[in-house]
Amino acid sequence: MQTSEQEAEDSAAQPPVPVFVARGLSKVYGSGDSQVTALKNVDLDIRQGEFIVLLGPSGSGKSTLLNILGGLDAPTSGSAKWRDHQLTGAGDTELTTYRREHVGFVFQFYNLIPSLSVEENVRLVAQIASDPMDPKEALELVGLSHRARHFPSQLSGGEQQRVAVARAIVKRPDILLCDEPTGALDVDTGRLVLAAIAKVNAELGTTTIVITHNSAIAGMADRVLRLSGGRIVKEEPNPDRVSAEDVQW
Amino acid sequence: MVNVLDIKVVRDLWSMRLQVLSIAMLVAAGVAVFVMSVSNYRALVGAMESHYRNERFADLFAGTTRAPLVIADRLREIDGIGIVEPRVAKPVRIIREDTNLPISGRIISLPAEGQPLLNRLHLVQGRWPDPLHPEEVIINAAYAEARAVRMGQPVEVVLNGRLQDFRVVGSALSPEFVFATRSAVPLPDDRNFVVLWAGEDAVASAFDMKGAFNDVAMTIAPGSSVRHVLDEVDRLLAPYGGTGAYNRGDQPSHRFLEDELAEQETLSIFMPSVFFGIAAFLLNVVIGRMVEAQRGQIASLKALGFANGTIALHYFKLVTAIALLGSAVGLVLGCWFAVGVVGSYRAFFRFPSLDARFEPWLLVAATLVSVVAANLAAATSVYRIAVLPPAEAMRPATPPALQTFAWLQTMGSRVIPLQYIIAARTTLGRPIRTVLSTIGIALAIPLILFGLYWFDAIDYMIDVSFSRIERGDAFLTFTEPVSTDTLHELKALPGVLNAELQRVVPVRLRVGYRTYRTSAIGLDPGSELRVPRDKALQPISIPADGIMLSRQIASQLDLHVGDTVSIDVLEGARAVREVIVRRISDDILGSSVTMDRSALNHVMREGPVANVAALRIDSAQSELVWSRIKSMPRIEGSSVKALWLSLFNDTIGEMVLIGALILAGFGMLIAIGVVYNSARIALQERAWELAGLRIIGLTRREVSAVIVSELVAELVVAIPLGLLIGRYLIELIASARASQSFQIPVVIDPSSYVIALLLVIAAAFASFIMIRRRIDTLDLVAVLKTRD
Ligand SMILES: Nc1ncnc2c1ncn2[C@@H]1O[C@H](COP(=O)(O)OP(=O)(O)OP(=O)(O)O)[C@@H](O)[C@H]1O
Ligand SMILES: [Mg+2]
Repeated sequence: MQTSEQEAEDSAAQPPVPVFVARGLSKVYGSGDSQVTALKNVDLDIRQGEFIVLLGPSGSGKSTLLNILGGLDAPTSGSAKWRDHQLTGAGDTELTTYRREHVGFVFQFYNLIPSLSVEENVRLVAQIASDPMDPKEALELVGLSHRARHFPSQLSGGEQQRVAVARAIVKRPDILLCDEPTGALDVDTGRLVLAAIAKVNAELGTTTIVITHNSAIAGMADRVLRLSGGRIVKEEPNPDRVSAEDVQW
Repeated sequence: MVNVLDIKVVRDLWSMRLQVLSIAMLVAAGVAVFVMSVSNYRALVGAMESHYRNERFADLFAGTTRAPLVIADRLREIDGIGIVEPRVAKPVRIIREDTNLPISGRIISLPAEGQPLLNRLHLVQGRWPDPLHPEEVIINAAYAEARAVRMGQPVEVVLNGRLQDFRVVGSALSPEFVFATRSAVPLPDDRNFVVLWAGEDAVASAFDMKGAFNDVAMTIAPGSSVRHVLDEVDRLLAPYGGTGAYNRGDQPSHRFLEDELAEQETLSIFMPSVFFGIAAFLLNVVIGRMVEAQRGQIASLKALGFANGTIALHYFKLVTAIALLGSAVGLVLGCWFAVGVVGSYRAFFRFPSLDARFEPWLLVAATLVSVVAANLAAATSVYRIAVLPPAEAMRPATPPALQTFAWLQTMGSRVIPLQYIIAARTTLGRPIRTVLSTIGIALAIPLILFGLYWFDAIDYMIDVSFSRIERGDAFLTFTEPVSTDTLHELKALPGVLNAELQRVVPVRLRVGYRTYRTSAIGLDPGSELRVPRDKALQPISIPADGIMLSRQIASQLDLHVGDTVSIDVLEGARAVREVIVRRISDDILGSSVTMDRSALNHVMREGPVANVAALRIDSAQSELVWSRIKSMPRIEGSSVKALWLSLFNDTIGEMVLIGALILAGFGMLIAIGVVYNSARIALQERAWELAGLRIIGLTRREVSAVIVSELVAELVVAIPLGLLIGRYLIELIASARASQSFQIPVVIDPSSYVIALLLVIAAAFASFIMIRRRIDTLDLVAVLKTRD
């Protein structure tokens, strides 16, 4: 943990080598008349420990981009890699290993396993990780250790989303990908979730990408990418990051 | 405009096409077996009824030694009697150059002109004999076929000890000889039993029966008392050596046919009904789960304001479409198989026309049952979901028992990988569903067992009858009783390893007004070629005096050990004797009357004679043996076990084989369908959860383990349960029928259990591969977009 913290500080000082490198990413759905282009020729570099926020109108290709970076989807053309993991043209086994070892996901729908308790949902990931934290510790980070024995159906939406965050971070992922993590939440709960994400980013040096419709959240980012019609139309560095508590929406 | 929900019906059908197909297959299998079996049975009964009606099968029969024709007029005066047809019917032998086996048979007189009034002949080939040519005869079609007799061919017949030449001009079927049997010999054999019909002049003169008859067929007027008519006939014929009048129930061919039909009834109606019932239950389970899997969709429809009735109607359409598809396939298959199976019956049941019958009620009933069974399941599931508030129904269902049972929450230590905990909790957390689908898988096993059981049962019956009880290789019957001299003569033949004499006598047992017509068998003490055995196959010893009865006969006559029963001998001097019931046996063949041979001789008031010989023959020398026997006097006929067995295999064997294969095949289809559906629905319900597991980095194997271990757990319980249910149902089926002669034993060979088990495991394995493929191709991104 010590080293990654150091790395995070380093990255602020001098621009390090990018961990994510994407070139000419395109994604086309369907064919002929019903053809939809979700991504058009996207180039992207992301540095270690960066906190990226993706903004953009509905249908602009945010989820598509995130899914490709998370090894869940393959582009129609172009290449993407994370460190020495080639994400395009890789087989399922490599992508699974990549996700298993390096990526934590948080989605708008919490995706918890209904038959496992909160603690077990987190432990499920710890069980397959090489150097996980104690599931309790991960729950501590999202402020839910007192609900460890409850089942997802006994939690509120926001609480479930925090469990999802705990589950995503328990393996000390190198990358944390969040697709509208606060989409279904009220302001206060959303803030708690964002705080947890920011904390992981800061304390573990986890490279973090968050999709949101809420431009206020962009204030927390190192860099904001704006998508429209499948292209990155704007890239804004954010020198004055605010903490989750200060985000207003 | 097309209703949007109707579009959903079509889309759902298409997107679930494999599942729809497997459910339809299940319906089809049930419907096909049901339709095939019932229509086959109806075909047999219909063929029998129309043969009996068209050829005017008599109701009553009686024999005498010799009665003048005027007596026939006296018979006609009996109150309640209909048509009376006197005739001459006598045993004959046929001599053929190409065989050493004695061929026995009967010759029956035909009226001078045209068809008889009763027991008419259905001409299969050739023509009616010309009254001007007394040497022309009609021969029974079964023999003609078995021996390839051509029309116009001469036939040498021994009549009354004299050789006489006849010429075959026609072959025919008779309602009296649907099965041609001789009462003294246990094995009917078309090749060695012949029936000849010749003009009455020719027959009467050969047997010195001019102006007389020794056999009479009669009908009874509707509404009259059979008992009374039989008694009157007996009274009139008694002075002429009457051998006792009897009705169809005691007519050998009809009795055999009735037993066969009873057997067929089990095979054709009872078993397929159980089969169909199970299929309907499985349909219920599978459809119920299919609807349950659409829980979220139902909730959303409700939330959108659709009324429960509209939603129910939607599923009614979906499910009815599947059931109708399955029924249609099932009806076509069922009719197609019925035609094939009825074809295989023809070698065995000799009817003028035997065609599969597809009565509309049957087709409608089969379709209705499947549609109703399917909708019942859908309706209950839709109802269960519809009563929930939409909000609750929209949430994925947590296993309900999870909150109730603390141990389910705490189960599993840190050593057990969590994917197995997920499996265990899902299985145990929904006990009702788990139990239902376990029973569903379990019930597939009896369906497979049903088919296999018939092979085992027949094998067993053959083994018991022909290697444990009848241990001789061949049987000889004699035209008149023979003494021990004949036994010595037979034993002295080179190639005869052992010989034993038996006395077989047609008798009527009488207790008060109850009677039972059968053959009594007299055996020598320590007889080795016929060994009566009990149900445990232990030899039963024969009491030295008195009579031994099968329990079935004893209970029909309400007899107990120590009771007295009177025996009316139905041949020769027609002795009547009272004997004491010494033993009631649980004998495996179900209905036999056995005595010590000398005790039976005593009843017959005769010396130590016999009329049947059982032989053990050295197979290497059998030709020699038969050529010697051929030249022996007083031989009436013979039957050879090996020949009979091969005949059996070609007829009943083939019939059972086809039926059993179809049953087992459909059982397998259903097994696969049920296992596949369980897996498929589990996948459908849990796609979202499983994709979630994949996203967080579980490998395909780890994710498959969740569903596979759930299925394996169900299989581990279902397989032994299914084997037990199978055995129980077969016992039920076997006991549901009480045939007059053969009891179907409940014997299931261990290999049948193993086959059933392997087939279900194979079906499960195929499902595992399917699950694995589905998991491999799970669209992780698509799953993220929706909750359902
Ligand atoms: N499976 C698919 N088939 C066809 N088109 C698709 C498919 N998935 C996505 N698209 C299209 O690709 C485009 C980008 O989709 P994407 O999900 O990346 O958008 P998004 O930016 O995440 O939108 P939102 O903010 O609404 O989630 C959209 O126009 C969408 O309609
Ligand atoms: Mg999106």
